[in-house]
Amino acid sequence: MTRSGPLEFLKRHKEPSGKTLIKVPSETRYINKVSSEILSGLARYGVDESRLFDIRLCVEEAVRNAMVHGNHCDKKLPVRTVYWVDNGVLNVEIADEGPGFDSTDVADPTLEPHMLKNSGRGVYLIKKLMDKIEYNEKGNKITMTKILK
Amino acid sequence: MQMKTEIKNGLTVCYVEGEIDINTSPGVKKSFDKLISSKTPRIVVNLSKVTYVDSSGLATLVEILKNMRSYGGRLRLSDMSSKIKSLFEITKLEKLFEIIADEKEAVSTFV
Repeated sequence: MTRSGPLEFLKRHKEPSGKTLIKVPSETRYINKVSSEILSGLARYGVDESRLFDIRLCVEEAVRNAMVHGNHCDKKLPVRTVYWVDNGVLNVEIADEGPGFDSTDVADPTLEPHMLKNSGRGVYLIKKLMDKIEYNEKGNKITMTKILK
Repeated sequence: MQMKTEIKNGLTVCYVEGEIDINTSPGVKKSFDKLISSKTPRIVVNLSKVTYVDSSGLATLVEILKNMRSYGGRLRLSDMSSKIKSLFEITKLEKLFEIIADEKEAVSTFV
């Protein structure tokens, strides 16, 4: 079935594996819908406020990067987020349709020449606040993990 | 996001409320553009009611600071939650900004 309205493009699907897929168009107004879905899914795990803040921030930064840098804000291109909890560890995969990027190319925003620039802090915050991150070979999918307690 | 402005001790104090993220940052920038275009010399931003800041919000605050510095203005941030302050520490933006624990101190020592 083809659905047309932009709000209807938000899809949430629980897979048999227990993983949840959230698919949204590349429009920034959907960013916090993705994080809200994940945080509500974590409600039963008793995660403290500080960790929830970190998870929300990192998910939103990664989804934003996928929409803006990966899909160049093309509303027709989706950002797919898959999340699951395994042995008290949250796993989040966020993928875009872009050609990928090399995260080592992102300048360190904490170094003096880059501190006044507007880019690079999202990736840096993800690296600092999540327990582990990795990119696929193409560079268009990030997998982040965070211990919940 | 909402912002109101008061004059205290001859200084402009801005009270920002809500979240500063990719969707609300343009509104924050617009609110400060008016103060910057009139070259407001000293501004204290009370962040006690800001519950969330993302990298777009941090970038917007950096942009406001840069714009104020261009005419010799000074900006202080006060009353940050410990969580938001930690973002300034992680990103080393604490070196760039004057971060004061509370508004009273930020205003009374702003000379």
